Amino acid sequence: MEQKLSVLVVDDDPLARKVMENHLQGHQLDFAPDKATALSKLKGKNHDLCFIDLDLGKSQPLAGLDLIPLAASKGIYSVVMSGHDSDPVVEKAYALGCRDFYVKGHEGSDVQAVLSRFLSRNRMSRERIFQDRFITEDKETQKSIENALHYAPSELPILILGPSGTGKTDLARLIHDHSGRLGEFISINCSAYNDELLEAELFGFRKGAFTGADEDRKGKLLLADGGTLFLDEIGSMSPAMQAKLLKAIEERVFYPLGSDEPERASFRIISATLENVQELVESKALRFDFFQRVHGLTIRLKPLSQRKDDILPLLSFFNREKRRLVFSPRAREALLGHDWPGNVREIRRVVDILSAGTKGIIEPEALQPLLKSAHGETKARDFTTDAQYRFALGHGLNQALNSFIDSLVQRSLIENGNRRNKTVKALQISTRVLYDSMKRSGANIRKRAP
Amino acid sequence: MNPSPSPNLDTLIHAVNSKCASLKSAAALLKNAPSKEAQELLGLMLEQVRALAREIEGFVK
Repeated sequence: MEQKLSVLVVDDDPLARKVMENHLQGHQLDFAPDKATALSKLKGKNHDLCFIDLDLGKSQPLAGLDLIPLAASKGIYSVVMSGHDSDPVVEKAYALGCRDFYVKGHEGSDVQAVLSRFLSRNRMSRERIFQDRFITEDKETQKSIENALHYAPSELPILILGPSGTGKTDLARLIHDHSGRLGEFISINCSAYNDELLEAELFGFRKGAFTGADEDRKGKLLLADGGTLFLDEIGSMSPAMQAKLLKAIEERVFYPLGSDEPERASFRIISATLENVQELVESKALRFDFFQRVHGLTIRLKPLSQRKDDILPLLSFFNREKRRLVFSPRAREALLGHDWPGNVREIRRVVDILSAGTKGIIEPEALQPLLKSAHGETKARDFTTDAQYRFALGHGLNQALNSFIDSLVQRSLIENGNRRNKTVKALQISTRVLYDSMKRSGANIRKRAP
Repeated sequence: MNPSPSPNLDTLIHAVNSKCASLKSAAALLKNAPSKEAQELLGLMLEQVRALAREIEGFVK
């Protein structure tokens, strides 16, 4: 057997269930004799396939049809099996999202044919993912991503770890696209905001809630209702903010700034950080209860320096809609020998520059300055995320700088147990810079640190 | 007896098709089934036949 699958068989006929048990030996099987049990099992677990008998007893004619949309929304390959092949019913089943159909009576051959079709389509769609959506030939990375996609339709929170530029946001979006969720994928980079701004971004606000709140604005939580909320750089969120968000996640209720009216939203959480998450928890920069709530499944993305097989496929991928780049064997060696500290983002940038200005076969001499500067610039770019850059464009450099300073000061204060002297020393700043920042962040500067 | 076409007849026809399909599939399994498994299958097949007989009798009445 090629792969052990998780299969749900929905049939009210005990003999039919026994027949299916025989034909699906070796797979992980689950049975439901009626619609209510089937709905509960479909909601509760991620099956790969679901065989659905259309008629579930005299009192439930064609009740199996009602199960198809739920199975489809969860990305489950649903197979309708019926005692008759009435065209309108079969057409309706396909219209609702059923993927395969057979008439009962020849299970010996039909079930195996269904499994072969499922495995073949599944393999093809997985291959396409690694060619079009998340480019990797690294087996370990492919396995991690397949594991994440297996849990995509569930409520399980996912934490993605990995250095900057390894594709954490791309993976989060891919998981959302495979989740069957009808809502939006909403992303927020927590490091781009101080506490007040982050609260306003997450929870939204009412007109007049604070200076500059000229109109009501929906928060990311509400925008993510029915979908996925991706929290990037969770390590930079203050513990106070984590506590507020945790409450909103658990109760699915929150209050926009300046409002007494609660809003409700249900969403799946995917979070990411490039930092060492254990250290964040130990230093209490990440609240343990919040960490527990967001790390159901942890996926680690390796840096490109540890998956060098991906370098050339990534170069081809980013180059596919541009003038074709041809590298000499020595240049290929140089590309493979480079550590790519900026990871996938760095490769994209190098391809952009090369395809815009290089002609003929590319030699290592043409790459040298790019790879060198890429290294230096990546270090500088690590300080600036796309979200921070967009924030600076929207609010001006001064406000962006202040937000950046405030985030660093808040974090250092937390790491130093709110001891101001230690924070001043750690960040090598003057007391005035510290107090200005604390004032902006709304901290009570009269209160002495314990 | 000459039953006229009715929703009940459709239900009966569907039940006969469906239950016979399961019987046919179960019969195909009997040949290679270990004896304990075969016993279980035969028991379920018997129940299936009785249920089918009851449905036909119900319709005739």
